[in-house]
Amino acid sequence: MPFLGKEQRPWLGGAISVLAGTGILFFMIYMPAARHFAVESVNAVLSYPEKPALYVRNLVQLSGNWVLERASLNERVEQLELRSQSLAEALQRAGVREPAQRESYVRAVVTLRYPQDWWQEFRIDKGSRDGVAENAAVTSEGYLVGRVARVGESYAWVELITSSSFLLAVAVDQTRDLGVVNGDDFGHLKLLYIPEERGLKRGMTISTSLMSDMIPPGLPIGTIIDIDENREGYREMRLSAGAHLTQLYNVEVFTGKGRTK
Amino acid sequence: MTLAALPVIWLTQDFAQLLMMGICIVPDLFLLSVLFMALAPGASRDRQTKLVWAAFLGGLIWDLRWTNLPGLSAAVGGGVIGLACFIWYKTPPQGRGTAVFTAIAAICELLYAGIHFFFWTIPSQTAIRQLMVQQLIAVPVIIFFSWLFWKVSPDNG
Repeated sequence: MPFLGKEQRPWLGGAISVLAGTGILFFMIYMPAARHFAVESVNAVLSYPEKPALYVRNLVQLSGNWVLERASLNERVEQLELRSQSLAEALQRAGVREPAQRESYVRAVVTLRYPQDWWQEFRIDKGSRDGVAENAAVTSEGYLVGRVARVGESYAWVELITSSSFLLAVAVDQTRDLGVVNGDDFGHLKLLYIPEERGLKRGMTISTSLMSDMIPPGLPIGTIIDIDENREGYREMRLSAGAHLTQLYNVEVFTGKGRTK
Repeated sequence: MTLAALPVIWLTQDFAQLLMMGICIVPDLFLLSVLFMALAPGASRDRQTKLVWAAFLGGLIWDLRWTNLPGLSAAVGGGVIGLACFIWYKTPPQGRGTAVFTAIAAICELLYAGIHFFFWTIPSQTAIRQLMVQQLIAVPVIIFFSWLFWKVSPDNG
């Protein structure tokens, strides 16, 4: 392949490709819209040949986890039934009519999780076509794992609770203290803005507080595992997420519609 | 092996990564295939140049699918193949055997994976474990390509 009358040298091609690749890298970093467009285009094209592989992966994972998941879900159903019973009793005592159930979830498969952004975001195979909307709560095994950040027609990107840009109003279940959950991009979770005089302890559980239509209150998030030093009148607490954030294969997205898909 | 086989090899690596997502990062089968094709006996400079750009293109699509840093694998892939060809030509013809090919393949795989490693945001211990697992899985792949190289090289019969 002669170029300008001279035979091309592979090492020269290599050097040019390094420059070209670096140029593309900088362009894509400074033009996130172009990067998203290119990423989604490639993913859309590859979604067709990848379908059988994705199917096999889910089949293997679901069958492999079935026994373990079943045991943990049975235990959870039992706990929820007891909780529901005590809540119903409390409502009855207070003379409040039980509201009709209206929330619903759509089940989605995780199709992409970048190693570079492991604790920040992942992509799912459900989008606006399936009722997924921006800011909707995303759960796994009943625990909140993130919220929808961007939605396409047939896909959505979910911001993980461990992302440093994730801030969510939460409540401590045992004391009803309100705080904010925040991540650090490295897989850790913190509970912020709890006044130092509050007697919170390790083992107390955290769940979402009433915040928006897309994140229902009462969704469990995790447990307090450590209480740090006092900082300007507030204590910072370390949390352990309830969901297995390193093993996210299937998730549920809150749609807020009348029935489950 | 013709250039037309490269999309199939790329898709094979893509499917393997899809199946292993969340478990480990698969070795760079596509890069090692391009390297084998570039250093195989009889590969002309023209073919090697085409393979440099094939590595670039394959790396770019891989970035758009898997790494969120479009251009990184493209730059490293193209650069690594160009560098391998340069070292190959600097090696005396009588020394261009299976052992040198294996050494170059191992260095390329380490270099390629090592550069990606610096861009991961996961805690260092987890990242090192992922890198180690990837490199351990890459060993049989490198051995396979070395065997393939030995089969097609003039030294073999």
